[in-house]
Amino acid sequence: MPKLFLAFLFVLCFSVAALRENTPSISVATPRQPDVNTGAGLLSSLMGDSRRMFANHFFSKADAYFHSGYYPTIFDRSASPERSHLQGGGGEQPEGEDHNHSEHDEKAGFLGEPLDCLESFGRNFFPSQHSHLETGNERELLPWLKLSAELDPQKIETYTIASFWLRTRLGKTNEAEQFLREGLHANPNSYEILFELGRICEENHKDTACAHNLYALALQKWTDEKNRGGSPDEFVCQQITAFAARLEERAGNFPAAIGYLEKLKEISPAKDLIGKQILDLRAKIDGPGIPLKK
Amino acid sequence: MPDLVKIEKLRVEYRSRESQNGFKVAVDGLDLTVGSGEVFGFLGPNGAGKTTTMNVLLGFVSPSSGSASLFGVDVREPIARQRIGYLPELTYYYKFLSAEELLRFYGKIFRIPKGELEKRIDSILKLVELEHARKRLIKTYSKGMQQRAGIAQALINNPDLLILDEPTSGLDPIGRMKVREIIQRLKEEGKTVFFSSHELGEVETVCDRVAILYQGKLQVEGRVDDLVKNYKTNLEQIFLKVIGYQSSQAV
Amino acid sequence: MINNALAVAGIVIKELYRRKDFYVLFVLTALITLLLGCVNFFNDDRIARYLKEICLLLIWISSLIIAVTTTARQIPAERENRTIFPLLAKPLTRGHLVFGKFLGCWFASGLSLVVFYFFFCVVSGAREHQWPLLIYLQALWLHWILLALVVAMVLLGSIMFAAPSSNSTICFIFIVGILLVGRHLHRIAIQLQEPIRTIVSVIYFAIPHLEFYDIREMIVHNLPPISMLACLIATVYAIGYTAFFLIATWLVFRRKSLTA
Repeated sequence: MPKLFLAFLFVLCFSVAALRENTPSISVATPRQPDVNTGAGLLSSLMGDSRRMFANHFFSKADAYFHSGYYPTIFDRSASPERSHLQGGGGEQPEGEDHNHSEHDEKAGFLGEPLDCLESFGRNFFPSQHSHLETGNERELLPWLKLSAELDPQKIETYTIASFWLRTRLGKTNEAEQFLREGLHANPNSYEILFELGRICEENHKDTACAHNLYALALQKWTDEKNRGGSPDEFVCQQITAFAARLEERAGNFPAAIGYLEKLKEISPAKDLIGKQILDLRAKIDGPGIPLKK
Repeated sequence: MPDLVKIEKLRVEYRSRESQNGFKVAVDGLDLTVGSGEVFGFLGPNGAGKTTTMNVLLGFVSPSSGSASLFGVDVREPIARQRIGYLPELTYYYKFLSAEELLRFYGKIFRIPKGELEKRIDSILKLVELEHARKRLIKTYSKGMQQRAGIAQALINNPDLLILDEPTSGLDPIGRMKVREIIQRLKEEGKTVFFSSHELGEVETVCDRVAILYQGKLQVEGRVDDLVKNYKTNLEQIFLKVIGYQSSQAV
Repeated sequence: MINNALAVAGIVIKELYRRKDFYVLFVLTALITLLLGCVNFFNDDRIARYLKEICLLLIWISSLIIAVTTTARQIPAERENRTIFPLLAKPLTRGHLVFGKFLGCWFASGLSLVVFYFFFCVVSGAREHQWPLLIYLQALWLHWILLALVVAMVLLGSIMFAAPSSNSTICFIFIVGILLVGRHLHRIAIQLQEPIRTIVSVIYFAIPHLEFYDIREMIVHNLPPISMLACLIATVYAIGYTAFFLIATWLVFRRKSLTA
């Protein structure tokens, strides 16, 4: 009889597990695209708002991994850079993804001179030299970013940063795109994710039409948010317009490019530089022998 | 007959908040000797000071004044306990060990050579009738078997003196009889046994001499035959008379 | 003394491998690690550091649970079950008992550590295809030395506190507290006003700095082994504190009533 009962429990557990298999709480283990919203719902029922705290912790963890463990604790935090170093590799630097090392290293020297012999001796036992992950080891950040996204699907920078490393350093464009789409599913109005998707279309898939549409949509979402009274990130808007302008310029669609640059000029601090670019483009339109795209 | 146990003017005081002077006297001016080969019964009602006296003999408690020695060595010296075996009251031995592992552990403390230790374990387990359960974990033993395992550990060093604190406490009649038989056999082997008990019939059967303690003071000491002859009654009545107990019928 | 202490230690080791605690913790550690090892992150099977970190964290938690709970119950259980009476009725002093219990708990924790680290070695090697054995051995050694300090500290607690559970809780808080904030206390102190500043500074210099023995970050990030001299100094430092705790335990236990 007890064996029969155990067998029944086993079957019951197996059935429940089989039913749960499709749910996103275990989606980490499967390459399929999870239903992030439902997953967040389940996690928020289980963990409440504490999941955001854990998500932030795992996000910081990824940052710490990027610095090979050389990372300030909350006690050193006052001396540490204000923003995650990971973000430096994200959408902030459209032209070059390399870090500004001199400034960064200066900021990262959070340990300072040891106050006493115990502190000095203790530095033998944890990473006390600053270094970055490189040569493909950037992959080590990904589990923490994935976990952070699972816990807080509304944390948009998790998607953009993971996507950046996936496509630029690890050559995993498809995975980057899929992860961004998961992010977009959870945050349909995210202009940051749309912009990143646009970059994948432009830089990896070489699909300018798709990129054009995504940049335009991203810009639309940004404007919508602004119109709704929100305070969308102007820097991202500058990036979107700059990328859109560059795309149009490469396609020979100079009037459209000028249109984007005019918009960029309104919000960018480098108004003179952009004004010069506009003039250059106008000169190209006016100049002979340059075919205009219709 | 040389004295194996010698207690002189022993006084033990405990700190006590309940007492007015801040301490309580557990044993007061006790003089006692136990000779070699004797079976000595140490009697008294609960709280009389029997266990405290035993604790002094075993070095667990330091006397406030007076002295106690085993084999002529002060009880505070660990070497004084080299030739004794002790069975405490109500002990739950390491339940994750088997009887033979328990004996092997205690044997190691006495530095008994391995070959001799194994032989001794065999013979002791036979004596306490635990041979059949020697490899079973102690947690599976009945209370009587656990008590016999306790006696076995007390015998592992082939002691000249055994101190048994209520060895039959909590046992059923068969268990009590078995323990009594073991004590008899030890007596026949010439061991000295110093034991406390509330089973006065058993004491009368087994002991050569007895002492009755009451409120920390020695009330009576002598050979069982002599006491029975002098008081013209059995040990139980002597005990009750000594401690001043009067039954409700008598009242 | 050594003979008696080793006899007592043997019993503690037997207790550890006959109880289920170790097996449960090991199975849990292995299960969680292996499950996490099966997780597919962006179709990249070379990601290893998160697995190493989680496995090491579980090993640390398990080893502290084993060391603290095993040690905390030793002397109270002897008193509660009254086995301390037949034991001390033999030519064995309280000092022998304390030292024997310490050795037993330390060796038992060490044995379990070896099993845990072997598992870790297999897991990380299978992922990374490299076995930096020197730093693994350093981690194992420092971890074991730390457990000596922890065991001695908990042993003192087991004499001072009434119940093993309260002792375990207090010791866990103390150990985790030191591991988390120990090395920052001096920096915290200098930001405070007197007299709190002096008090925190004194605490900083007085506490055993357990964080010296935690080189998980070095292993996780594939950093080079630490210097042997640092290892040696850390070992001597731990031996000093362990001896202090053991002597304190003996001094308190010597005067302690067995029946209370």
